[in-house]
Amino acid sequence: MLKLSRGVNQRLLHCGVTVQLRATRISGNGANLLAQRGFFSGTGLWQANGKKPLSRVPVGGTPIKDHGKVREGSIEFSTGKAIALFLAVGGALSYFFNREKRRLETQKEADANRGYGRPSLGGPFHLEDMNGNEFTEKNLLGKFSILYFGFSNCPDICPDELDKLGVWLNTLSSKYGITLQPLFITCDPARDSAAVLKEYLSDFHPSILGLTGTFDEVKNACKKYRVYFSTPPNVKPGQDYLVDHSIFFYLMDPEGEFVDALGRNYDEKTGVNKIVEHVKSYVPAEQRAKQQKAWYSFLFK
Amino acid sequence: MGLFSFDGGKKESQPPNTRSQRKLCWESRDAFFRCLDKADVLDAMDPKNSKVISAQCKTENDKFVENCAHSWIKYFKEKRVIDFKREETIKKIEQEAKQREQNQ
Repeated sequence: MLKLSRGVNQRLLHCGVTVQLRATRISGNGANLLAQRGFFSGTGLWQANGKKPLSRVPVGGTPIKDHGKVREGSIEFSTGKAIALFLAVGGALSYFFNREKRRLETQKEADANRGYGRPSLGGPFHLEDMNGNEFTEKNLLGKFSILYFGFSNCPDICPDELDKLGVWLNTLSSKYGITLQPLFITCDPARDSAAVLKEYLSDFHPSILGLTGTFDEVKNACKKYRVYFSTPPNVKPGQDYLVDHSIFFYLMDPEGEFVDALGRNYDEKTGVNKIVEHVKSYVPAEQRAKQQKAWYSFLFK
Repeated sequence: MGLFSFDGGKKESQPPNTRSQRKLCWESRDAFFRCLDKADVLDAMDPKNSKVISAQCKTENDKFVENCAHSWIKYFKEKRVIDFKREETIKKIEQEAKQREQNQ
């Protein structure tokens, strides 16, 4: 029994040793493996700074490099660049939308004056220019025209206005490259023959074309533009009189349609600005319908 | 032919169709009106003032008549009165506005 048990014990002991030896070998292997992964070795994290990293490294998180400094290039911390970007983009957008708003407003104003197909001002007329050529509403097509109604015997307002028109025309062509067709329509056909008009207008801008006609023709043209004037129809030769008349410049677009009336309140600068606005915002008929439906137009309603 | 006759046909005047003619007329008008200011006359059309004008501004008046068409003379004389009244009204309104501001 003893012998047997000793034998078993020995065997057990032997077994035990073998098992222990095996276990040591396994644990030794495991330690080596873990050491290779850097958990316990001298190249491990906590020994890099000599600090414990657990408060900074979340489990499974990426280790912070560069000795714990905040990395550059992180978007949430580059405020300077963000402000610059915000200003650039915001500024560009606000400039664009302000410009578009103004353009659409001017276009709307012109459209309103255009009366959606039915011109509120203008229409067919038949006159003769100071060079003896026929001049009708068809001569307004294809270019912007500016019309002024007056008479050569006008004491002070017409000459001032025509001088102002000359300044407008010069500024428009030199500064903005805009050429208008300026027309002077007399309200006093009894005295303002083609020759008189030619002499009278020679003092003003050379491109101004004088228009005259018979009393009825002139009356018709004035009526179309709602110009009030009071000339007696049968003036005796040599009779001295003045003609009362409305004093407006009429801006007509290349379709021969009324755009705007400019009164005496527009001076040499503001008149130019107004005309430039209208000319720049003018859109040919075919494009007009399309442009009105710009994707951002809802913003300005 | 568009010639003007005034002063009983004593003198015929071309229509003031050129810049130089207009300038001449405007200058003689200004001279005449300056004289009227000195003589304290507002309405040159008023027959009450005709004696004062012929006494104090005869040369200016003659020049004015010589250099301007009849219709222009009438127009400028009327305009002088209208402009004066308009300025008076504007002054009055401005003064009233100032007083109202002070009262408030």
